[in-house]
Amino acid sequence: MNNIEVLTVFLSLFILFIALGFWASRFRKGDMSDIGEWALAGRRLGGYLAWFLVGADLYTAYTFIAIPESVYVKGAVYFFAVPYVGMTFGVAMITMPRLWKMSKKHNYVTAVDMVKDKFNSRSLALIIALTGITAELPYIALQIYGMQAVLTVMIGQLVTSDVATITEISLIIAFIILAAFTFTSGLRGAVVTAVMKDVIIFTTVIVVIVLVPIYIGGFGHALASMPKLPTGDGTLAPLFLNGFISLSIMSALALYLYPHAINGVFSTNSTKRLRMSTALLPLYGVGLALLALFGVLIYGSTKALALVHVYGAVTLVPSLIYAYFPPWFVGFAFLGIFIGGLVPASIMAISQANLLTRNVIKPYWTKMTAKTEARMAKYFSIVFKFIALGFIFLIKAAYSLQLQLVGGIIILQTLPAIFLALYTQKLEKWSVGLGWAAGMITGLTLLLYSNFVQFKYPSIETVFFKFSTPLSFLYVGLIALVVNLIVAVGGSLIVNAAKPQMIEAPSSAGKK
Amino acid sequence: MTTSEVKVDELSLEVKGTSGQKIAVAVLLLVPILVFAITPLYNFSGPKLFGLTFFYWFETLWLFVTAAFFAGAAVLLNRMEGGRK
Repeated sequence: MNNIEVLTVFLSLFILFIALGFWASRFRKGDMSDIGEWALAGRRLGGYLAWFLVGADLYTAYTFIAIPESVYVKGAVYFFAVPYVGMTFGVAMITMPRLWKMSKKHNYVTAVDMVKDKFNSRSLALIIALTGITAELPYIALQIYGMQAVLTVMIGQLVTSDVATITEISLIIAFIILAAFTFTSGLRGAVVTAVMKDVIIFTTVIVVIVLVPIYIGGFGHALASMPKLPTGDGTLAPLFLNGFISLSIMSALALYLYPHAINGVFSTNSTKRLRMSTALLPLYGVGLALLALFGVLIYGSTKALALVHVYGAVTLVPSLIYAYFPPWFVGFAFLGIFIGGLVPASIMAISQANLLTRNVIKPYWTKMTAKTEARMAKYFSIVFKFIALGFIFLIKAAYSLQLQLVGGIIILQTLPAIFLALYTQKLEKWSVGLGWAAGMITGLTLLLYSNFVQFKYPSIETVFFKFSTPLSFLYVGLIALVVNLIVAVGGSLIVNAAKPQMIEAPSSAGKK
Repeated sequence: MTTSEVKVDELSLEVKGTSGQKIAVAVLLLVPILVFAITPLYNFSGPKLFGLTFFYWFETLWLFVTAAFFAGAAVLLNRMEGGRK
């Protein structure tokens, strides 16, 4: 293969991507020294752009690297991502328009603004903000793994030595560029580039899913060549039924607790457009389902498997594309996967920066001006990107998906404070705080216990806790959330019964 | 228990509509979710499509049904909400 041609197409499109990212600051221009303008694109995104933006949160390295890799290595249980994307937008249809209305009314920029208001508690808001910031880190790290996977295949085919070093340097350069345009363009940069990324990814997925089965003799051939996988190959192994269900439902509940997803919701310009674009997002999930099927498809291709054996399971999708397509298409598709990690990483870092300035620093630095707030958020968005980059150089995960699922365990503990508080005034702050603590401790303890004691893995390789049958495998996130809910709801009931006046809602929500 | 002021604030978040409309919305939102959540409904190997087991192709195609149902719910909810578009 002409690898120079691959690189040329990749780099030309990357330059176009950078240009778009910087140009975006002029797109529906606003005053970028205001945090609402920088981080929420001035809340002026219509239905189509909102669709792309929230879709960008979904179409990440999670979709084209982590899920196919897991299906390939461990089997059918990781197809849970398909029910997850179907269900999560139902959850969003119910909760998000309501949160949007509240945010509009009280000028909230983050969900934590609402938490602070509802519970009238700076400390609870602080806990929820820090939880959100923490949960985003492994998610960003996953994006970087994805970008690394593409570069490894591309650079590995181009040079014979120093592949790892060149890959790392390229990653750092890409991040400096990303940091620069996130700083300048904010969420606008992410929205505009998200459109480019999704057009490339959609084209790639459709081309691959149509042509590769023809080249390799159909899915039937791939399935027949599949070895017995631990969690099932053609269908789900019965032992993993509860694992599948708990992973899909918990992931569906978790997505819209992530600060970056809520950020996307707040940037839309009306509840009606938000509702319709959310309703149509399961169509985006079709791409995810097809990509997950690449994990099956690869078993039919000795050519692609040979590449995966050299570069690792994480490079499954890039390897499959490399094995079958002409250089220009490989460059095009690789760029799509690469910016498919870069754009979400930018959105996530923006939302972290937002939370940190607005909900962690500002409450304790009351004299902060709006200008300082926006400027500080911009600088923190750079800091968070490099923290995540450092994270992947330090921590080597066995499977990239586990990173995101650990983040899921963490973010789920904010469910009572965010989702339940949307519907009731009766939750009491101490109980919610204690519930959070109980959920966190349960989740992290079970995670460590199952990995290092139950299964004796050398690193974090599973997010399941194994009970004896009939329960068998359950996602740790579910167990932790149940503990959290029992404490939060039970505690609130007891406190309410004891002192009914305590739970009265603040009558004037903190308008600013 | 709650002050009247908060109640007014909460009411403005309510979606108005007839009970028929509300039931329709609930059905449109819940059916796709429940089908996905009850995995034994689709954990079979046959019938096959393009060589794929039912487990894989059903979930993929059900996403289209889900989008259609959700879009129906969105149209209804938007109509019930009234006001500006």
